[in-house]
Amino acid sequence: MADAAFDPLASARPGASGRVAGARAMWREANAIQKAAFVVAVLLLAAAALAPLIAPHDPVAQTLIARLRPPVGFERFKEGHLLGTDELGRDVLSRVLWGLRLTLALAFAGAIIGLLLGGVLGLLSGMAGGVTDDLVMGAVDAQIAIPFTLVALLILAVFGSSLQVMVIVLGLYGWEQYARIVRGEVRKLMRMPFVEAAVAAGASRPRIAFRHLLPNIVSPLVVQFTLSLSNIVLQESTLSFLGMGVQPPTATLGSMVGIGRDYMPTAPWIVIFPALAILLLTFAVQILGDWLRDRADVRLRSR
Amino acid sequence: MIAYAVRVIAKALVTFLAIVTLVFFFTRITGNPIDYVIGQGITQEDRALLMTYFGLDQPLWLQYLRFLRAFVDGEFGLSFVERRPVTEIVADRLWPSLQLLGSGLALTLLLSIPLGIVAAIERKSWIGNAVMSFAFIGYAIPNFVLATFLILIFAYWLNWLPVVGNGTALHFIMPTITLSGVMIAALTRFTRNAMLDVLGQDYMRTARAKGLSERQGLFKHGLRNASITILSVIGLQVAGLAASGNVVVEAIFAWPGIGDLLVRSAIQRDYPVLQFGVIAVSVAVLTVNALVDIAYAYADPRIRLARA
Amino acid sequence: MTRLLATTALAALMAGSAFAVELKVGAANVTTYLDPGRDHSNVGSQFYYNSFDVLVEKNYDTLETEWRPGLATEWKLVEPTVMELKLRQGVKFHNGDAMTADDVVFSLNRMYQADFPPYQVRARDRLANFEKAEKVDEQTIRITAKKEEPLWETLLNLQQVMIVPMKYTMSLAGDPNALEHDDFEAFSLKPVGTGPYKVAELAPGERLVWERFDDFWGDKAPLERVTVTQIPETASRITALKTGEVDLITNVAPDQLTLIEQDPKLKAVGSATALFHVMIMNVNHPTLKDPRIRQAMSLAVDRDTLNEALWFGKAIVPSTHTMQEYGPLYMPDLVTFEYNPEKAKELLKEAGYNGEEIVYTSFPTYYTNGLLAAQAIVDMWKAVGINGKVEVNDKWTGGAPEMMARNWSNPMYFADPFGSFGVMWAPGGPSQSEGRFNTDEAYAESWERFRFSKDIEARKAAYAELMDRIKADPPLLPLYRPYESWAMSTNIDWAPKKGHIPYVLDFRAGSITFATN
Repeated sequence: MADAAFDPLASARPGASGRVAGARAMWREANAIQKAAFVVAVLLLAAAALAPLIAPHDPVAQTLIARLRPPVGFERFKEGHLLGTDELGRDVLSRVLWGLRLTLALAFAGAIIGLLLGGVLGLLSGMAGGVTDDLVMGAVDAQIAIPFTLVALLILAVFGSSLQVMVIVLGLYGWEQYARIVRGEVRKLMRMPFVEAAVAAGASRPRIAFRHLLPNIVSPLVVQFTLSLSNIVLQESTLSFLGMGVQPPTATLGSMVGIGRDYMPTAPWIVIFPALAILLLTFAVQILGDWLRDRADVRLRSR
Repeated sequence: MIAYAVRVIAKALVTFLAIVTLVFFFTRITGNPIDYVIGQGITQEDRALLMTYFGLDQPLWLQYLRFLRAFVDGEFGLSFVERRPVTEIVADRLWPSLQLLGSGLALTLLLSIPLGIVAAIERKSWIGNAVMSFAFIGYAIPNFVLATFLILIFAYWLNWLPVVGNGTALHFIMPTITLSGVMIAALTRFTRNAMLDVLGQDYMRTARAKGLSERQGLFKHGLRNASITILSVIGLQVAGLAASGNVVVEAIFAWPGIGDLLVRSAIQRDYPVLQFGVIAVSVAVLTVNALVDIAYAYADPRIRLARA
Repeated sequence: MTRLLATTALAALMAGSAFAVELKVGAANVTTYLDPGRDHSNVGSQFYYNSFDVLVEKNYDTLETEWRPGLATEWKLVEPTVMELKLRQGVKFHNGDAMTADDVVFSLNRMYQADFPPYQVRARDRLANFEKAEKVDEQTIRITAKKEEPLWETLLNLQQVMIVPMKYTMSLAGDPNALEHDDFEAFSLKPVGTGPYKVAELAPGERLVWERFDDFWGDKAPLERVTVTQIPETASRITALKTGEVDLITNVAPDQLTLIEQDPKLKAVGSATALFHVMIMNVNHPTLKDPRIRQAMSLAVDRDTLNEALWFGKAIVPSTHTMQEYGPLYMPDLVTFEYNPEKAKELLKEAGYNGEEIVYTSFPTYYTNGLLAAQAIVDMWKAVGINGKVEVNDKWTGGAPEMMARNWSNPMYFADPFGSFGVMWAPGGPSQSEGRFNTDEAYAESWERFRFSKDIEARKAAYAELMDRIKADPPLLPLYRPYESWAMSTNIDWAPKKGHIPYVLDFRAGSITFATN
């Protein structure tokens, strides 16, 4: 495995003009599923961005006398509530749109925090080795060994439950995966001739990190990022399932599903629409992630 | 090799101590059991009485010393909520969780490795896409939604499967599927990617040049090399799942497992149970991790050298 | 071998027939211990009546109070503060020991003169007036009260003074002939009583198995075996009932009742439970110090709409802190709590309320519809101009100075206003002691008259005074008596009895019939 004689930098970083052409080429080469995923992702992003404009109702406005009304086309449908109403008579469509917005924001913020935290620690650990490595990997082991729900619970108990705290909690979810991956890749790369050569030539550590290491671990990081986006969406819904998610009446897709699950047999629309949104979202993100990965993987492309 | 193993074990021990210490202090600064279970509607003086009875009024460091002494004399105390030894409670809960984990893991391995290989070989055809789409869906559904759907279909409507408990083999079906959904998705994907990584390596090019077909090459070199990645992913997944014991699955199917116990005792601040539960789980996880580390080193001498 | 198998199969078949009736129950919560003296939780109260007896029994079929002989066959006051009781003879504990006067005295004094902290805590709020129990002879005991006690029978009918065996308890831990705290701790996992069902297995928080106790002194238990399994998820519980894994389930939320009604093989029974879901307000919180603000918080809540929307009108909205179960002390004409948003707005203006945020804390799932009601209440506050916010927390925050408002329940621990309002809102009681309710001498004086007057009218008048005080400076708003439902297959005839405290799963003779088919 150590005899890779190619220079990964040669093909991994196209110039600015090359990028547009690259994007066009990418679209041409994409298969139907990938194209569909791209369209879905764009639509979801647009819906989230435009939620304040397109949501027909205030997502927290209650109508107690019109609880649990079904979507259009069913008996007892209430005019104006296309996807029905929830357990407090709130408009499901509006809640899904606003929930999507908040879910996306939380997921991206959380995934970026995880990426930065785990990435930096993994890089440090992989490059420095020795005690630093032991400390970081010890922390990783500790994180794996303690159930995440427990970590979340304690953090929420100390800092109270607010959106800011929730972002941090979700950011902590999965940092250890980034750290492990980055560390593993870095250690592998450090033994490669082109890095060894750079080290021998006296390149500074940051230069090695940014110029030689990072560009080569983008691919596993992208995959992990997409994984953790969907993991975070699911984890947030699990926290809601356990009663530790975002505070009501605020909705995320996860909390709608988590809190609404009791209504699955009687008023399934409360759960199905946000669950469907979660499904589309994570599905699209992962297809795109895989697509990017396949594209970015120079070793595959070179054939 | 032995020096390396000692080093790995020593590291695990330090990590373990750090974990139990953190859990000890964090749970205590965030509240006590009287605030969560017993304390509703009692007077302040009665509260003080109970604090004394449970030994919660003692200085934190003293409680910590007493807790450390438990490692010597094995007295980990009684649960505040269930008035019996925590060792007994945790032992009762560990076995059902391990059983479920075992069956979940078996199903995962059985499905995801073949699927991952197929997805790698057929990556350009619709078969590969179909496999990966299937895997992605496993990732995309919250597991309690999956569980609820399974219950609705197989129990509520068809009346084929039991919902509650862990009495018979039939009881394992729905919890196992729910539990492995995510694992299958993850492992299929990792297998595929690991195989593709291998496909790009030089010796595969060499193999192709020598006239081996891609398939032969894959099985000959690919699988062997990818197995390291796959193993480590399995290790991680198992560790993670053993730790969280999958709270959700256990709650929905009334499965008397460790995850449910840990979360409940954390919510109620039942310190003795929580502490011992965390000890048991982290010992298990750290052991698995250390074993994986050592096995790695055994398989790949460079790691050993690099770390020694 | 084949023959052996066949015989076993036959035996198994026979076991499943009418000779041995087994009932399977799916409960939202199974208790983590069983000790009637220590417990007063809603979870625990489900389980004691089947395995334990009290000295003075009650006809639980009716709302009217009708005392009946229990483990005591007769009782009379021999002095104003001393009650003498004749004990039933030939009563056996589940472990085979005969019940003696010593056991009874032990059971009472473990509460009256408690030195085990969990008992002390329980005894203080309801048994504080009892000094001691003494053995007169093998068949007679005497109980001495500190003050003349108007509620003798009521307080001898309590779960906390159910009779337990002395020797057995002593033998559980440490020195087998001495009583230690560890004995009580051990008892709570190996409970023994005199009731018609013995506890055959207790897996805390998972499963409780009862078996018929053949030496029971009264009518034999109708069921051979009862297994109660904890199934926390509502959907799982209902599905388990549908698949026949269990025969009866507890805690079916009103929104789920249609699932039961749609299935011809199932039925649901329910009742407005003898317990109030309440909103408590911290009278000492800086923002809420002015009583007018708390009055407004209370007047803004349209409890009838909550009842209609969340309970389909099946809950009971009270005008004051009173229940029909109190018999002569039921006071439905008293109006302490009402809905009047206009007045709420006025009061807020008078009090100079400036839109300070008022937080309503709610347990996530503990109370049926609790979180929904919390959100609805905050929405109703908004309508009168109160800036409210819901906060979900597992922690009991009733003793925290920063607590503003939150949900709680006031169960009826026994059928008297003392058993509900009286336990929670006594001078020096839990609410005051937690620092969210104040009393003064006048309040304490009214309370004494309410608690100890022998004349019912005097008690009622004193209770009305207390309610006036609550109205003028409100620390709570009782929302409603929640409508709790149980569901079962149609071959079972069971319903919660009117005379019980909330949530009791009574499977004694005459309480359940189970036609096996």
